[in-house]
Amino acid sequence: MSQKRPRQLASGVCIAMVALVLVACGQQYPNTTFTNNTDFNSDIYALWNRLLLLGTIVFVFVEALLLFTVFKFRRREGAPAPRQTHGNASLEIAWTIIPALILAMIAVPTVKTIWKTQAPAPAGAIVVQVIGHQWWWEFRYPQYGVVTANELYLPVGRTASFELTTRDVLHSFWAPQLGGKRDLITNHTNLLWYTPRDSLAGSVFNGFCTEYCGSSHANMRLRVYTVTPAQFESWAAHQANPAALSPAPAAAVNAPVPAKPAVNTASLAGGLTPPAPPPPAPVGAVAATEGYVFPRDKLNAWNVPMTPFPTGSNEVKFDDSLLAQGDAARGHELVGNMANMSKAPCLTCHIIKGEYPGVLKNDDMAKAPNLTHFATRHTFAGGVYNTDARTLARWVKNAPHMKPGSLMPTLGLGEYNPDPLVRKIMATGLDDRQIADIVAYLMSLK
Amino acid sequence: MATTAAAPAFAPGKAAEYGTSGVWSWITTVDHKRIGALYLYTALFFFLFGGIEAGIIRWQLALPNQHVVSAEMYNQLFTMHGTTMIFLAVMPLSAAFFNFLIPLQIGARDVAFPRLNAFSYWVYVLGGLFMTIPIFFNAAPNGGWFGYAPLTTMQFSGGLNIDFWVMGLQILGISSLAAAFNFITTIINMRAPGMTLMRMPMFTWMAFVVQFLLVLAFPVITIALVFLLFDRFFGTNFYAIAAGADPLLWQHLFWVFGHPEVYILILPAFGLVSEILPTYSRKPLFGYNVMVYSGIMIGFLGFGVWAHHMFSVGMGAMADTIFALTTMLIGIPTGVKIFNWIATMWGGQIRFTTAMKFGIGLVGLFTIGGISGVMHSSPPADLQQTDTYFIVAHFHYVLFGGSIMGIFGGIYHYFPKITGRYLDEKLGSWHFWINFIGMNLTFFPMHYSGMLGMPRRVYTYDSGQGWETFNLMSSIGTVLIVIGTAIFVVNFLRSRKHGAIAPNDAWGAGTLEWSIPSPPPDYNFAEIPVVTSRYPLWDLKSPDKTAGIAHSAPDSLTITDAHAVPMHEETGGKTAAQLGIPMPFPTVKPAIAALAIIVMFSGLLFMHVGKFSVAMAVTLSGAVLFVGTLYAWLTSPLE
Repeated sequence: MSQKRPRQLASGVCIAMVALVLVACGQQYPNTTFTNNTDFNSDIYALWNRLLLLGTIVFVFVEALLLFTVFKFRRREGAPAPRQTHGNASLEIAWTIIPALILAMIAVPTVKTIWKTQAPAPAGAIVVQVIGHQWWWEFRYPQYGVVTANELYLPVGRTASFELTTRDVLHSFWAPQLGGKRDLITNHTNLLWYTPRDSLAGSVFNGFCTEYCGSSHANMRLRVYTVTPAQFESWAAHQANPAALSPAPAAAVNAPVPAKPAVNTASLAGGLTPPAPPPPAPVGAVAATEGYVFPRDKLNAWNVPMTPFPTGSNEVKFDDSLLAQGDAARGHELVGNMANMSKAPCLTCHIIKGEYPGVLKNDDMAKAPNLTHFATRHTFAGGVYNTDARTLARWVKNAPHMKPGSLMPTLGLGEYNPDPLVRKIMATGLDDRQIADIVAYLMSLK
Repeated sequence: MATTAAAPAFAPGKAAEYGTSGVWSWITTVDHKRIGALYLYTALFFFLFGGIEAGIIRWQLALPNQHVVSAEMYNQLFTMHGTTMIFLAVMPLSAAFFNFLIPLQIGARDVAFPRLNAFSYWVYVLGGLFMTIPIFFNAAPNGGWFGYAPLTTMQFSGGLNIDFWVMGLQILGISSLAAAFNFITTIINMRAPGMTLMRMPMFTWMAFVVQFLLVLAFPVITIALVFLLFDRFFGTNFYAIAAGADPLLWQHLFWVFGHPEVYILILPAFGLVSEILPTYSRKPLFGYNVMVYSGIMIGFLGFGVWAHHMFSVGMGAMADTIFALTTMLIGIPTGVKIFNWIATMWGGQIRFTTAMKFGIGLVGLFTIGGISGVMHSSPPADLQQTDTYFIVAHFHYVLFGGSIMGIFGGIYHYFPKITGRYLDEKLGSWHFWINFIGMNLTFFPMHYSGMLGMPRRVYTYDSGQGWETFNLMSSIGTVLIVIGTAIFVVNFLRSRKHGAIAPNDAWGAGTLEWSIPSPPPDYNFAEIPVVTSRYPLWDLKSPDKTAGIAHSAPDSLTITDAHAVPMHEETGGKTAAQLGIPMPFPTVKPAIAALAIIVMFSGLLFMHVGKFSVAMAVTLSGAVLFVGTLYAWLTSPLE
């Protein structure tokens, strides 16, 4: 076998690699960082283009020089020993200065962009508090009194000013199409702002946690809906309402809602739900579906989570035929019944605005997502599952099996609880019918 | 300058009892060459182990939503892959070359402290096993190789996993520090006459820089780990967020260590390639002085760039600006090295041996890693890159394309000196090309998956995100790397026994280590040579070529007759005793002292599970064993 064989193989594979990359170029990239979707990302993209251009020039030059040298000066039979050169001061100075000049061409725009993008957010920005939790996102809009999870609504054309904190370990907030990431650091508040362009109205983007945060780091995702200002106002106004089945008026039971900004909502959202405070809804009534929700049918394939149900020893068995019999009122009863806490201690971690006050006095005490308008979100569990009855039933039954490390406890009767501190079959808990009722209730939280 | 006359008469005493073969002789050896071989075998074992971990990772990620291993196991695998490759494979592979080569290159008979050297090895191997074995019990470290607080605190990681990591790194730090002081002393004090600093072979130079990096960087990680250890065992609050701790403390401490660590990993490979390229081009290294200064410069600047790992943590515009500029600055000496290597080959007579292929591979691949490195030196651009697969691509080009390529080149180059036999060149060629293709196929697509939004350290990813093609390519590339590495293993094992016999100067190189038999006798040099240039062997073999060329500036030690270097090709077969050269006694005490350290640390594991009396008993018995062994060690004569 000749020595040439591996080399021929190498060139063949290199060509195949280039071909593969070209094939890959034909695909869609829903999480690409190469966009002009926000002012922030335009700055980054411009910088990237310069880096890529200079990097490519250096790459081509160095590799070409290397290959040329290697082929030109390969040993020939009978050639005399080469001249013994030890260095060349002017050459060496040249290749010290030229890289320095190239780096200066990067350094100048870099420093400009640093100071530009880290300046204070412009006035009139919408404040979004991003709070990291293992392994889900909490989003609060203090100007609107809205608390939601995993799905972020941003009005186009208005700067979104993110205030990032975390309740536990470090996380990092990143929606690649909209801009760079910023870490969530415990006991710090970090800042990040960008303005989605007007052309993005009606778009949806995926986002991810990009700081390793434990077992389900991979399962900490988010969606960003960029909507028109009118749609946003409508959405926010509705989200501030108490829950659909809530028996009590919102104002009496919730932490005070911060003052609203001076935005003329009436003119924007004509005919839609007035901002606040809504009339108390009677028990059993299906309250407002009037608020804007990003339409599910406008989601792209890549916005819909495809996470399969766990199989094998982690499979969560549930009789889906029971779901049709689920009763929201009974579920409501189960979730809120304080006497039932040992079976379904939902309200020790979750807040459902207007429901059974007294357990969690304010949003900061809630360890788990606010469920007030749970059913208006298209995804749940850190954005890894679709909000539908089948998935939700399995989630309620045994969340740690559905999502590794999940802090939501195992609730299903007879289910194995994998919590390292428990590790046993649950002797108490909810049977499948009760779960179907709770699912029906949760799905009514429009 | 013959030392034989001055040497005291050698009395064959204890050394004879131990012999030179068998397991016991390996446990008790203090010979730097045998310790180097132990480092080499052990580190290659851990390299394969870390490779298997990487293989499982790529298997899991080959397709979206796959569950080959659980999330928990995956997190242990990527943590241990990084930790293993850095601390148990690449650093010890470099240490193997430090051990084997430094004394040979500077014309010494051993390192300054042979027993301390053995101690370093035993601490390393036992510490490595301490960290590695838990993965078989699903209890391996799972906090990532940079173990960010507060995830590693008791509140969020209550299991033993992080304990193994904290203590394991502490243990390995002892090994690295002991070795670093040893090599610094060796290089400063034990150079042969005429071996001025500026005549030292480039590998020894880079090794010298690395030892200072180790000495300065490891105390920082030690402090960071002591804080964490105290938090976890004794209830202090250095990183406890509930007590108001600032988690950025850990990040700063870690990266003040972590960035110099990157140069600890790459500079030895730079040194090896600086031996390989001149040898197979038959030309001296181009711009020797500049290569030395740029190496020192890289080491120095390496301490001033740590926060470029932290551009996304919100340090503020001023800190981002400063660290961006220092990071760009470090690109300059690195670029100088690349151009000097190319200039070394320019005008040469390049022989494409396997070692040379790996050397050229390093120059080509490290350039890619260097360019992507400059790309994330720009903080705004880095906000789209950090913690994505783009970073994974970058550091694998640096560490696989740089360190591993250089180390493999070094293995092919020095295997004849270590064993007396050549590695098979045909298998070597296959190894190189398959590895080269596999490496690029694995890591180049990661640039794309990263910039197209894929975060790193995810145990799974959803379909339809635009990452499938790239991940599949990466996984196929990994299969090639596995095949290439398997070829190497076969070649390595076969050639040790059946390879072609190598002469003293296996490749026509110019430095001292090639003037003595392959493998070298235990005393290395029958006579300590007098060195008059950077390439004494070339002066000897082709005086016509080198006459009149000053290999380094003249100095007071310069010997006027440029070709007076005594070479040692005729001494093979004679023992140290026959030549009257005193050699250090073999001793098991360093290995016992290393074991005692492991025992001391292991006590804390019992404390974690609430058995305080057992913990105290184990730790105290370890301490007694350690102090006792140390006393016996320090009161017994070296030779």
